[in-house]
Amino acid sequence: MQATVPKNRKGYLGALALILVIVGLYWGLIHAPPDAYQGNAQRIMYLHIPSILTAYLSFFLVFVGSCLYLWKREKRDDILAHSAAEIGVLFTALTIVEGSIWGKPTWGVWWTWDARLTLTAILLLIFVGYLMLRSLIEEESRAASAAAILGIIGFLDIPLIHMSVYWWRTLHQPPSILRPDKAPWDNIHPAMLTALAINFVAFILLYFYLLSLRFRLGEMTEEIKTRRMDRGR
Amino acid sequence: MSSWGYVFLAYGIVWSTLLLYLFSLKRRFRRAQREVAQLSSAEELQKHAQK
Amino acid sequence: MKLLRQTYLLLRKDLVLELRRRESLLTMFFFGTLLLFVFHFAFDLVPEKVTEMTPALLWLAFLFTGTLGLTQLFEAERTNHCLDALLLSPMDRGALFLAKTCFNIILMVAVEIVVVPLFWILFNLRSWEAVPLLLGVAFLGTIGFCVLGTLLSGVTLKARARELLLPLVLFPLMVPVILATIRCMEAILRNGNMGDALPWLRLLLGFDVIFVTVGILIFDWTIDV
Repeated sequence: MQATVPKNRKGYLGALALILVIVGLYWGLIHAPPDAYQGNAQRIMYLHIPSILTAYLSFFLVFVGSCLYLWKREKRDDILAHSAAEIGVLFTALTIVEGSIWGKPTWGVWWTWDARLTLTAILLLIFVGYLMLRSLIEEESRAASAAAILGIIGFLDIPLIHMSVYWWRTLHQPPSILRPDKAPWDNIHPAMLTALAINFVAFILLYFYLLSLRFRLGEMTEEIKTRRMDRGR
Repeated sequence: MSSWGYVFLAYGIVWSTLLLYLFSLKRRFRRAQREVAQLSSAEELQKHAQK
Repeated sequence: MKLLRQTYLLLRKDLVLELRRRESLLTMFFFGTLLLFVFHFAFDLVPEKVTEMTPALLWLAFLFTGTLGLTQLFEAERTNHCLDALLLSPMDRGALFLAKTCFNIILMVAVEIVVVPLFWILFNLRSWEAVPLLLGVAFLGTIGFCVLGTLLSGVTLKARARELLLPLVLFPLMVPVILATIRCMEAILRNGNMGDALPWLRLLLGFDVIFVTVGILIFDWTIDV
């Protein structure tokens, strides 16, 4: 299968991602000041917010790939959806881990059913379900269609899941000292904002780098299958 | 664990996981490349045999 | 309209089959009742606890019973290549989707109409006036469940471990329905009407409308011959 993204472009992307990751690390860990309330633990935010945004981006790409595949039935779109799902699971799982670790020094617990963590957990379950569906259907094209349907339904459902979980959490706020939904946007120091922005761009670049690699892998796997089938004749 | 401990734990897990994934991708990549090479050389042989 | 007529024909076929053999209906009904007993043992339901747990227990019972029904959904078509025949016919596939969804809704509603009063009797609840409104909300939730369930049931027809896979992919997507239905039911039991749960009701309605529409449009690609 002809490579959609040429090899040296991928290389540049990777190098750029690496540079920004390093800059982001410096800015987040050293340059930005510690938070007034949370101390240094707040620095996990520079991982957490980019991660979750990347995870949502991933799901959007799954949606786009799914729609295109159902419309045009081109294998490339299916590979896009599959690749985005695989990397999406990765980033979603990382988001949950980061959120949990951030929670321990901040709220004293490893897990809380606040809106953000719960939503991320549900997102992970949907992603995992998507990948399981793919692996449990034997025939290629049927698996691709099935996954595409699930991808579309899942994506359309996400705003509804968002609303319902946020309402559930805000209307039933337990009268405790925990305020997990307090956004970190309030009174944010400019250096923090820059750190966040740099890390965000770094994550996006890294994401697309990984996606391009995984996509190419998908293309090659497809080529191997086609060649094997041709040989069989 | 002090605050920094948690920070390093989080950053450590994230970056090592991403690196591991990158390596796993590269490994699958190389394996796929080898297979493609094998299949194309086998095709070449077949073509020669047919001539 | 042609779509509705086709839907009606397919639905009638399924209903006739079901009324003759009563496989799904009876199984679902007994399973739902069985769950109530299991809940009683598991949660040690004393009168004070029961009222606040009622919506959750009811909806859990319906979810599991409904999942049972979903796995049976295309059973009739599995033998003798009936499904292929249906798909090859000039029937609008949207009609097949609507028919299967309605069929499942009817089964579930039949079970709900029996199980809810049964729950009231078994656990000595007094609030009988709340039952009609409660069933109404359950009906809306059931629509949401059956719409997504039918879509995913069609999609997982040829998958391995189908009985496990279907709930696995379905349940996370059902979160809005679960939350909305239970919140509405709680409001009804507390106040006798919707009151502050009105936004939840709107969410539930929105969910139903969105996915019925999506379902009709998308079902074409759900089942491949």
